[in-house]
This record gives sequence, structure tokens and C-alpha cells, in this order.
Amino acid sequence: MSTEWLGILLLAVLFAAIFIGFPIAFTLIAVGAIGGYLALGPLALHLLTLQVFSVMRDPTLASVPFFLFMGYLLEQSGLMERLFRGVQLALASLRGSLYVAVLLTATIFAAATGIVGSSVTLLGVMAAPAMKRSGYDIRMSAGAITAGGTLGILIPPSVMLIVMGPVVGVPATDLFAAAVFPGLLLAGLYIVYTLVRSYLDPSLGPPLPMDERAESIGEVVRELVFGIAPVVVVIFATLGVILAGIATPTDAGAVGAFAVLLLTLVYRRLSWAGFRSAVYSTLLTSCMILLLVAASNYFGAVFSRMGSASLIAESLLGLDLPPTVMLILILAIIFVLGWPLEWVPIVLIVVPILLPLVQKLGFDVVWFCTLVAVCLQTAWLSPPVALSAYFLKGVVPDWELSDIYKGMMQFMVLQVIGLGLVLAFPQIALWLPAALRD
Amino acid sequence: MSDLPSAPARLANAIDALTRFVGKAIAWLILPMVMSLVWEVVARYFFNAPTVWAYDMTFMLYGTFFMIGSAWTLQKGGHIRTDVYYAKWSPRTQARVDLACYAVLFFPAMAVFAWLGSEYFWKSFGQNERIVTSPWLPIVWPFKFMMPATAVLLLLQGVAECIRIFGRAFGPGDPAPPAASPVPATDPDGSVVL
Repeated sequence: MSTEWLGILLLAVLFAAIFIGFPIAFTLIAVGAIGGYLALGPLALHLLTLQVFSVMRDPTLASVPFFLFMGYLLEQSGLMERLFRGVQLALASLRGSLYVAVLLTATIFAAATGIVGSSVTLLGVMAAPAMKRSGYDIRMSAGAITAGGTLGILIPPSVMLIVMGPVVGVPATDLFAAAVFPGLLLAGLYIVYTLVRSYLDPSLGPPLPMDERAESIGEVVRELVFGIAPVVVVIFATLGVILAGIATPTDAGAVGAFAVLLLTLVYRRLSWAGFRSAVYSTLLTSCMILLLVAASNYFGAVFSRMGSASLIAESLLGLDLPPTVMLILILAIIFVLGWPLEWVPIVLIVVPILLPLVQKLGFDVVWFCTLVAVCLQTAWLSPPVALSAYFLKGVVPDWELSDIYKGMMQFMVLQVIGLGLVLAFPQIALWLPAALRD
Repeated sequence: MSDLPSAPARLANAIDALTRFVGKAIAWLILPMVMSLVWEVVARYFFNAPTVWAYDMTFMLYGTFFMIGSAWTLQKGGHIRTDVYYAKWSPRTQARVDLACYAVLFFPAMAVFAWLGSEYFWKSFGQNERIVTSPWLPIVWPFKFMMPATAVLLLLQGVAECIRIFGRAFGPGDPAPPAASPVPATDPDGSVVL
């Protein structure tokens, strides 16, 4: 058997082993070592230390713990509740104002965190009670919370994009810049959708009862200036210096985490228990992601030496499909795999296998990555294997899972529209990276 | 359950305690990681006097952080698995599958990693190797030592996991069903949230 075909076999074994359900990081190392030893000899084993060590000293991946820390601190600090409350007070008389409050808070929080879980939990805890009291539609409320929460994985500083950068050989900063407008586009679609439906049918999102409103305009202004502005400034300053190329994501992540820590001290909202929990969660989530990155990096190094990826690329090219059809096919594969698999193995194992094909088809890699990111974000919203639904159910137990699913389906339609727009108009993704480079 | 745990259970508890202690201690490295980069940024932009040590320091702390913490993550069930099929099996079947995977995948892989990692470390230690691309010229062997150390911690934690899994796989009575789907941020000791 040729080495290329051995590689394909290795891949099949890997996927079978992954679906058995053992932690993926260890499966990757074991399958890589065994298969690599058979195909390449002892070299394959020595790659293990080299590849792990290269992840241990990767300057960009070092930003992952910082952004996780920043998100967990914000989650524990109560600052986001204040933001939510401020937007709610400002818009109280509008139909569907709580949807807007949820989605704006979600978008701003997404610009500070790189993950989905804290976002959905946080929004569920703070928004669901107000939505229930105000008689909001359960489905659309659940949909807005889960969809808003998933923006965390798309809008920079997305941990997914940081991990994707080295995999596809593009600076994470470019991927950040490319994700900004697609992220805002989706947030805008969500807001327009909820506002239009609430306007047409006020029972979906009635104006707020009097005790949910501000006493005076002064209260609103005070809340917006003192409660919200500092957090928003810190978040956008962090993101701004990264996008402008003034600081690396790692520098900015560390300074951003430090600034958020100072803010939580100034506002006296962080408890010792909350702080400790943020520290421990940062370690545990970093270990899960980065050990998996190291393991995939090793498997990838073995696999790429077997030359199977180009075999796959050539045989798929041999199908002679139009490039756009092929691209949609690739995205469909990634979306379908997003059901059983988390984004981490997809980005680390599946994307590098498909990348040579994408390059041979002549597609822009940054654009492709943005499309993949939107696909994987959508996978968080697609029942029945949608983690964000479980997160929400965990904090709002009296909402039925079936209602949450029905709410998410509405926003999945918006996701498909958003994805279609980025497919049809690549400039939505590519304009900002190009503009920033000049 | 008897009041006095058996010898294997005591061993598993002892390993758990060690792993938890190391993990919690390592978690606090996030603070010096943040602070050394903040120091560097302030020194560079405000005093125009960049440090020679901050970057190397941060990256070595970062590598140590996620490697050494992996064993505690394993204890807390934090390393993700694909549970489309796994979740449908009975707790006993899950335990038997896990045990087989530990034997076939985990222990061989981690043993190879421990062995190669030690070789890699010893070579560096013998030469007192330094990072020559850095103006600070830090010694690199303590950092390389983190690889065999991680492998040994993971192997130990693997033993503790297998002791518990063995009880569920072959022990008397119906093993407890696994915990429900994860709800983030309910564990005061932190949890893995993607």
C-alpha cells in the first residue's frame, strides 16, 4: 500500500476512534504515533516532542488564556448586567426593546470574549427573567439569547480564529479583521428581524411595564455614562489596537485582561469566589483547547508527511464540479461535521485536509476561513446537537427545550441568509483586512 | 460502601489530591503571565525601555500553564470527547469502552511521550541549552522539563481514572449514571466552557 493510501486509512481509523468517544486529544496522539511509526518509522515518534514544543512556544496561541481570562472575569464581574440594564432603560418604550438589549449586549460581550458558553449563560441569567416578566415570546427570546451568544465565537477576539490562523498559515489578525463585518452583519440581521416581528405583532415583544423603566432621563444618561462607557471603551480599545496592528493579539489580550481586572476592582463587583472560579476556568479551558491543538499539530505533521491531503484534493478536483458548487459542498461537509464534533477538532483536523483543495480551486483563504467560521457558529444553533440550547436550558430550566429549539431555528434561517451574503459578496469579509493593511 | 476505602481507592484519592493541588497552583500563573506582558507594554510605550525578559517569560509560563494543568483537566472530565454514541451507552458499557481506550490509546501514547520528552529534556539539560534567538539567553531545559513532567502527571491521573472506571465497569450493583449535560460556571472550582 502506498503511503498516501496509508494516510487515508489512518484518517478513517482516527475518525472511527474519535466517534468511540474517548477524549480526542489522546486519541490523536495515539493514532498519529502508531500510524506514523508504521508509515514513516521512528521519525514519526520524534515529531511528537517537536510538535508539542512548537505549540508550547507559539506566541499567538499564548493569547488564548488571556482572552479566556478576560471573558471569565467579565462574566463573573456583573459589569455585563449593567450594560444590559442600561440599554433596556434607554429603549424601554420600544416594541421588542429587550431583544435589542440582549443582542447589543451579546455583540459587545462577543468583542471581549472568544467563546460561546459564558455568553449564552450570562445572557440567559440576566435577560430571561426580565423577558418573562415583560411577557416576551419564549421562542424568540430563547433564539435571541442563543444566537447572540454564539457571536462570541465569530466576532474577534474569537478563540476559534486564533487557533485557525496557524492552521491555515494566515495571521490571526487578518482573520479577526475579516470576521468583523460578517459578525456585525449577523447581529444586524438578528436585530432587524426581532424588531420587525415585534412591530408587526406587539405580543411578541410588548413595551416594558412601568417598573422595568427608568425613573427619569437622568437615570438613563447616568447609567449609560458611568455604568457602560468604561467597559465598552476597554473592550473596543483592546480590539482596536489589535486590528490597527499596533499590538499583537497576545499583548493586547494581556493588557485587556488587566484593564478588565482593574475595572472589576473599581466597580467592586467581583467576589473572591468569582475571581478564583475565573482563574480556574481559564486554566481548565486553556488546557482543553491547547492540549488538543498540540495533539492535532502532531497528528497533522504526521499526516501531511504522508501526502494524503493532496490525494484527496486531486480526487475531489477530478469530479470536475464548478468551483462554487465545490465550495458549497466543502462548507456543507464542515457544517454537518459540526453537529457531532466541536469546532476544535474540525478546525484542527478537517480544515487542513480540505485546505489544499480550496487553494487549488483558487479561493481566498481568509474568505474561506470566514465562511468556515460562520458555518461553525451556525452549528452551535442547529438542533438537536446544539450546545447553546443546553447552556440556556441549564440557567432557565422552565423554558422547554422544544421551545428553545424552535427559537433557534428562526435564527438559523438568518444565519443561512448571512452566510449566503458573505458567499455572494466576499468584500463583506475581505474589505476590512485589505483596508487595514494599507 | 464501606467506611474504609480500599487500597486502590486510597491510591486514586491520593493521586487526585496531588493533581488538584498542582493544577490549582499552576492556574495562578495566569497572573504573572498577564503582569509580565503589561509590564513590557508599559516599559516599551511609556518609558521606551523594552525589557529583555518579558516575552520569553510569558511564553514559558504559557507553555507550562496549559501542559501541567492538563492532568487536572483530565480529572475534571474537561478534555472533550464526541459523545454522539457514547452518551447512549449504559454507564457500564461506557466504563468498559473507556478502560479499553485507556489501555490501547492513552497509556501507550503517554508512555512514549514521557520517554521521548525525558530524552529531549536530558539532551538540553546536558548542554545547558539556552534560547539563542533571545537577547535574554534564558536556559531552556526547565521549560523542556515540562513535557516529561506533564506526561508523568497524565499517566498518574490515568491510573486514578482507571481505578474508578474499573469499579464502574466490573463492580457490583448499578453504577451511577453520568452527570447530565454540562452547565457552565456552576462549579466553584471552575469548569471547561467553550
